[in-house]
Amino acid sequence: MKRNWIVATGMIAGFLAIWEAAVRLTGTPVYIVPAPTDIAAVLAEDVADLLPAAGTTLLQALGGLVLGGALGLSMAAAITFWQQLEQGVMSLALLIKSTPIIAIAPILTVWLGFGPAPKVVVTALLTFFPVLINSLEGFRSVDPAIADWFRSVDAPPGQYFLQARWPSARPFLFAALKVVAPLSLIGAVVAEWMGASSGLGRRMWLAYTNLDMPSLFAAVIVLTALSAGVYRLVITAERRTVHWT
Amino acid sequence: MKRVSLITAVMAVVVSACAGGAADSPELTPMTFMAGFAPQANLPFVGAYVAQELGYFAEEGLEVTIEHSAGGGEHLQLLTAGEVDVTTQDAAVLLQRRADPGLPLVSIGLIGQKGQQAFVALADSGIETPEDWAGRTIGYKGTPPPDVFAILDAVGLDQSDVELVNVGFDPRVLTEGQVDVYPVFKSNEPDTLRKWGFELEMWDAADYGAPTLGLTYVATEEAIEEDSEKFSAFMRAVIRGIDYARDDPEGATDIVMEYVGEDGDRDHQLFMLQTELQEATTDQTEEHGFGWQTAEQWQALHDFLLQYDALATSVDVSKVFTDELLP
Repeated sequence: MKRNWIVATGMIAGFLAIWEAAVRLTGTPVYIVPAPTDIAAVLAEDVADLLPAAGTTLLQALGGLVLGGALGLSMAAAITFWQQLEQGVMSLALLIKSTPIIAIAPILTVWLGFGPAPKVVVTALLTFFPVLINSLEGFRSVDPAIADWFRSVDAPPGQYFLQARWPSARPFLFAALKVVAPLSLIGAVVAEWMGASSGLGRRMWLAYTNLDMPSLFAAVIVLTALSAGVYRLVITAERRTVHWT
Repeated sequence: MKRVSLITAVMAVVVSACAGGAADSPELTPMTFMAGFAPQANLPFVGAYVAQELGYFAEEGLEVTIEHSAGGGEHLQLLTAGEVDVTTQDAAVLLQRRADPGLPLVSIGLIGQKGQQAFVALADSGIETPEDWAGRTIGYKGTPPPDVFAILDAVGLDQSDVELVNVGFDPRVLTEGQVDVYPVFKSNEPDTLRKWGFELEMWDAADYGAPTLGLTYVATEEAIEEDSEKFSAFMRAVIRGIDYARDDPEGATDIVMEYVGEDGDRDHQLFMLQTELQEATTDQTEEHGFGWQTAEQWQALHDFLLQYDALATSVDVSKVFTDELLP
């Protein structure tokens, strides 16, 4: 395990060293590609601004994740109780999934204003579909032997859902969460990029339009760290839950 | 539009025939012009479109490829990387990028003699003068421009008297009441909003003493030093194109539509062209021609940006423009 860490650190250090050398040796201007040391300098200098921006983005991402996840999960659950809902729900879900966020983000601002609401909704739209699909699949993956037993005791639908479907869906839900947790951050950043007064997406947009590449990369690194953080949180939660099962 | 294509084809044949008769066909100098945004009737774009379609570039010995930027600043990166020879940029942004990150940009023809932006409110909002902005939500696109602070200063208001909010580029936030005062490009959104049936009040920082400037043709110091005649030829062609647009806005709009595409709104493009022609014309340009620029104009804009903390550092304005390439 320790050896793996050494190899990983060595690879990253080597990559950064090659990047730095390439930029310095070719004399590439900082507004085309910044050197890692330029980015590190901005990270150190702007940390007091980057952290609140990251906090804003994280809150909006989590808000969207909770909303999208809750919607996806409850619709999947509803389908298990009322099969006839499936075609309608899936058609609507596919419609949402296929709509380019970039096309509807401005309309959401028109409807919901300039606060966090449109960012949360954009994120929810992105996270809703994977949760719906995975949880539906999970609810339907009850072990046949367990299903037979519940049938034999004539268990009511509510009990069957809670004691058979829900446990069988848990691994599927965590699989979905591993995808949508980092995705929610991307959703929030895209929404902020389209128009916001704070957040990492706002900082990235400003840096991009000002050709301030070190600041752009610095914000990307903070976003990556956040993504890795939420991903680890999901894995930790999964391990603990598996432990309980 | 068919007529324009026909004229272009005939002129191309005539030009190549004349050239061929004089000597072996002379080599045209390749150039790439990247308009700073999507195809539309911004006057510097129009100059290039007309010059291309009516053969002015070819007459100057140029073979120009016209590209369009997505509008995110990549046109300046491509210019400084040498992939593009000439692009367009707002004068204030040219100064800002010259200051930070220090791009070697030079204005080779200042087309917009006034700033592109203004602020509007719905006529029935009760906002009749900037004094009425107090307590209202004032929008900005991306970052608050010094224009808004100049207007507030001029009427004795402070930033704390209003709520500034980043509204992006969709004017429906004004009509839906999400914002009270909306920043517009004078040649663009006002026409759209009026077509939707809204009457507007409009305020331009230039009318409140702000020395704003608009779009300019931009090249790099290095490229100009390397082959200044190429850029002179380019400017002769595009200024001739703009002269054509002034004399025949309808014909120029037909040419613009070839770039905008069939789905574009021709009336809107004509509005844009006519508005920008007005903004490009001053006593100075009447005397010297379109594109004329002076150190005083650039210095005033520079000092204005510095005054409102919109410039990272002071720059030498004598290096940010040249009149030597204008016809």
